[in-house]
Amino acid sequence: MQCDEVSEKLPDYLASRVDEVTRVSLEHHLQGCAACLQEVEGLAATWVSLGGIPSAAPDSRAMRARLDALIEREQENQARFSKPRFKWNHPLVTACAATLVLALGVVLGRATESAPAAPPGVAALHQELRDLKQMVTLSLMQQQSASERLRGVSFSNQVDGSGDEIVTALLDTLRHDTNVNVRLASVDALKRFAERDVVRRAAIDALDTQRSPLVQMALIDFVVETQERGAVGALRKLSTAAPNETVRTRAAWGIKHLGVES
Amino acid sequence: MQAVQRGDLAKLGSLFDRHHLAVFDFLARMTGSRAIAEDLVQDVFERILKYRATWRGDAPFSAWLFRIARNARADYYRKREFTATYTDAMDGEDPAPGPEATLENESEAARLQRALMLLRADKRELIVLARYREMKYEAIAELLEVDVGTIKVRVHRSLKELRDIFLTLESRLPCNVTKFPKSSPTI
Repeated sequence: MQCDEVSEKLPDYLASRVDEVTRVSLEHHLQGCAACLQEVEGLAATWVSLGGIPSAAPDSRAMRARLDALIEREQENQARFSKPRFKWNHPLVTACAATLVLALGVVLGRATESAPAAPPGVAALHQELRDLKQMVTLSLMQQQSASERLRGVSFSNQVDGSGDEIVTALLDTLRHDTNVNVRLASVDALKRFAERDVVRRAAIDALDTQRSPLVQMALIDFVVETQERGAVGALRKLSTAAPNETVRTRAAWGIKHLGVES
Repeated sequence: MQAVQRGDLAKLGSLFDRHHLAVFDFLARMTGSRAIAEDLVQDVFERILKYRATWRGDAPFSAWLFRIARNARADYYRKREFTATYTDAMDGEDPAPGPEATLENESEAARLQRALMLLRADKRELIVLARYREMKYEAIAELLEVDVGTIKVRVHRSLKELRDIFLTLESRLPCNVTKFPKSSPTI
């Protein structure tokens, strides 16, 4: 073994990680090389003395207590975020259920009292149910959470009849909601009210103002399905100026399907 | 760790029980302060909780743990623009010795500890990992992202420098009695 090899092998030698052949070869070299012997002895002594520096003892119990508190906080956060958004024990839902039960009781009571009273009672119950659904829908559509608003828009399809408040809320959502998915859902929901002028005009206006390609495509489909020829101007504009190529193509397709030459 | 990743956060307590002493010892020897090391261990386990999704099951947990511990220590000093000198880092109950009289009364182990703390942090880290954590040079190389040959050369140099600092401290003793063993009983 040469002197430079000793330097190379020394860290392994100190850590007792050399094989027997290397160890014997190294020690044989040390017997004949005073310089290497001096260096190895000095460094080995330092290595051994390092073992004499005691290790500090931590306050493990206090540290563990701090960690447990942290874990507990994180578990609470985890539980809060993993809960379903729709809560059956939500005050609004509870109030709706209570009102429903009450209305059902009143109607059944009247029905058992005298047979002729049944039809108006059932009608009243239907009205009550419709009002409740509308209230829940409008309430959900005003929530901060986008998924709650989305739920509200979808729920609007279950509201019988054509309440102006629902239409106004859906149009408001289409114009101003910050979430593209909620706006898209509102376009679908508004199809039910497509016979209304206010809805058709709003769809044409939205073709001009909406910037999301997804919403633009949904609106194009909307005006084609409703055969709204008043949208041709907005579609022409989109077919030439929309930044998205798919939107431009779809707008041209819309113009064609409205029976107008592009 | 896999259980923690899956959301069984209580298992982090078991990981703490198994590994906190090793991490604490590393950090205490690196900082020279029990209090700072305790805070940093807390920081390390907070980071494990926060970044649990980033652990890859194919790598040893201890390697990931020590990488986090190194980062926690580096961030600690970076935030405080702290120059890790021995005197700055020591705990209040263990004031840094200054006058010659203190040096004289200091034990050999305490003097070596002083020498270790006077060594540059990257060199001290190599010695702490190799000597106290008994990490294989291959593992240190992987942790520091350097090839194993370089690590061995650096350990050798760091040890030589440590010995020089120690001998300098010894030479400043009023009655220059060398208490350092000339040879190792293990060789």
